[in-house]
Amino acid sequence: MDSNPVAGNPGDREPIPPDIVDPLPKAPPPSSGAPAGTGRAGFVLYKIVPLAPALVPAAIVIAVAIVLVHVAGLSIWFTGWQLHVTLPMNFGTSFWGSAFNANDGQYGMAVFIVGSFLTAVPALFLSMIIGLGIAIASTTYLPDFMARILDPFVDLLAGIPSVVYGIWAFLVIAPYLGGTVFPWSVGHLAFIPGFAAHTTHPVSPTTEGTGLPLAIIVLTLMALPITTLLIRDALRSIPRDLWESGLALGATRWEVVRRVSIRQGSRGILSAAFLGFGRAIGETVAVAMVISASDRFPVNVYDSTYTMAAFMYLSLDGAYGDPSFLAALAELALVLLLITLAVNLIGRRLVSHIYAQEVAGL
Amino acid sequence: MATALVSATGADPADDLRRGDTLALRWRTGFDKSMGYLLPLLFLVALIPIIDLVWYISSQAIPTLSWQVLTSYGNYQSQDALGVPIVTTFLFVTLATTIAVCIGLFGGIATAEFLSDQTAAWVRTSANLLAGMPSVIVGYFGYFLFCLYFGWGLSFVAGVFTLSFFMCPYVFRTADLAFTSVPRHIREAAYGSGTKPVQYILKVGTPIAFPQILTGVFLAMAIGVGETAPIILTVSPSVLVPTGLLSPATYLTYLIYTGWENAATSHLALVIAYQAAFIIIVTVLALNVVVRVVAAWYRKRLAGLYQ
Repeated sequence: MDSNPVAGNPGDREPIPPDIVDPLPKAPPPSSGAPAGTGRAGFVLYKIVPLAPALVPAAIVIAVAIVLVHVAGLSIWFTGWQLHVTLPMNFGTSFWGSAFNANDGQYGMAVFIVGSFLTAVPALFLSMIIGLGIAIASTTYLPDFMARILDPFVDLLAGIPSVVYGIWAFLVIAPYLGGTVFPWSVGHLAFIPGFAAHTTHPVSPTTEGTGLPLAIIVLTLMALPITTLLIRDALRSIPRDLWESGLALGATRWEVVRRVSIRQGSRGILSAAFLGFGRAIGETVAVAMVISASDRFPVNVYDSTYTMAAFMYLSLDGAYGDPSFLAALAELALVLLLITLAVNLIGRRLVSHIYAQEVAGL
Repeated sequence: MATALVSATGADPADDLRRGDTLALRWRTGFDKSMGYLLPLLFLVALIPIIDLVWYISSQAIPTLSWQVLTSYGNYQSQDALGVPIVTTFLFVTLATTIAVCIGLFGGIATAEFLSDQTAAWVRTSANLLAGMPSVIVGYFGYFLFCLYFGWGLSFVAGVFTLSFFMCPYVFRTADLAFTSVPRHIREAAYGSGTKPVQYILKVGTPIAFPQILTGVFLAMAIGVGETAPIILTVSPSVLVPTGLLSPATYLTYLIYTGWENAATSHLALVIAYQAAFIIIVTVLALNVVVRVVAAWYRKRLAGLYQ
């Protein structure tokens, strides 16, 4: 119980046994602990054999990268890693170009990258704010029994499959957005840049209701359980001493949360942001169902666009037998892979232990 | 308390000061209290969608669902028959879970028990990266590797392997965590009394870690049942139960997706989509409930071990 940072905390409902946190001694080396496994045989048995299954996840990650690079080889070969340079090749105008037309051999990817960020960043922003509020409420304000009842509902959001989110949003939220919210917002918020209707081609907003706002709503819901969970963990792991000394100094609960808990748990909160972003930007099917795919930059906030994942998902069929198209798609997959790997790596590095293992999809 | 004070009660400011009852204090405590009422309202943002979603799907699916629909093996494109998709999904998930457990269980135990701390950290990081990988990229990987390079085509077995790659990090991490969190005194008592590592894993570690491993397996199954992109990208659709490893196959989530595709034209596709969504939600929620029950039981057990 000496230097354990997770010993006691204000809303401590499930104290984590200190031994889980402390680094455990490994299985004793064969020479000392296990008399049967001495020598060369022991080395092979306890050092080499376990490596094989343990390295499978790492092998899969590396294999994914290798396969994608191999398929994208054509594209990388012709355009190099400085893909924004316009080349005389038939292969493509430019990486950052907005034109994507497989028939002309134009594989500009800017629309998809911009579209991914346009959906993921607002969704992350919303889900961080809501998640912070829920986490503070559940760790600080709500009585224990209510938090116990309500917390699992947030966690259950992670369990709903993305395709179910997609069809629900398409059939329930989209008509409401298209019929009620968009007309109101066009009428009343048109003075804000981007909120005015676009009447010429493309017509936006449409009465269907699909497009950027719906994608952002769905992504917010899908990122919410992760951000909430990680922020809750971060706030719970504040030592009880800090909490009580704050209260003893005359601060209100809100002031302790605001000035002590959030600062102390800032790493956990930041990791929630990174992991939530990784989830939001990689989300595929739900977004593909609600973004009303069109490969152009959005003209206003209601417009449809594309995300990297949704585009890759929807156009693999059309790329069959077209190696250059496949290469372009694999290259897009590589970009997405690099983004998600970086985001996940940073997010996981920020918190050394993530306790919330018992939620699907985290 | 040296700030300029306005009387909060309207009496002599000095009295307020003596009682510490200032407007600033009232504002602070009032803000704290109002936050106590406002922040819990944010739970509604999470509660309303999930309740509405479950209610909507259930209300659309339950009136049309019957035992006959669930067990008739007809062509789901022309009649309301879910037998084939259910059986195929069961096959998919069973096989993929088996592979994922083989990879994840052995990998997790090896990581927790045998690897040096540094190697284990790397292995854990890579498992986390695999868990965070978007489903579409795993699907692309499966498509390129199994369907194109291996020449299996868009087939059942390609889908099974892709799905299992998607599921294995969850099993891996829970197995790793379960074995890492075996209480130290039990560990040391076992090794101190001369247990060999393999004996320790089989006789001491597994009984203690079993509920948590089961949790991981159930979670992986819940994820597998709901996964769409890896299956659609690597398996070509079929209205029949797969007869061989290379035959085409269908999946419950695929029905939801085609229901969305044909929402405007085909009422039947939409009805089937609702039914498939209902079955998936019930399965996933049931698995989640089982996970929670098992986890609660596990915590009690672990708490007992500490006494």
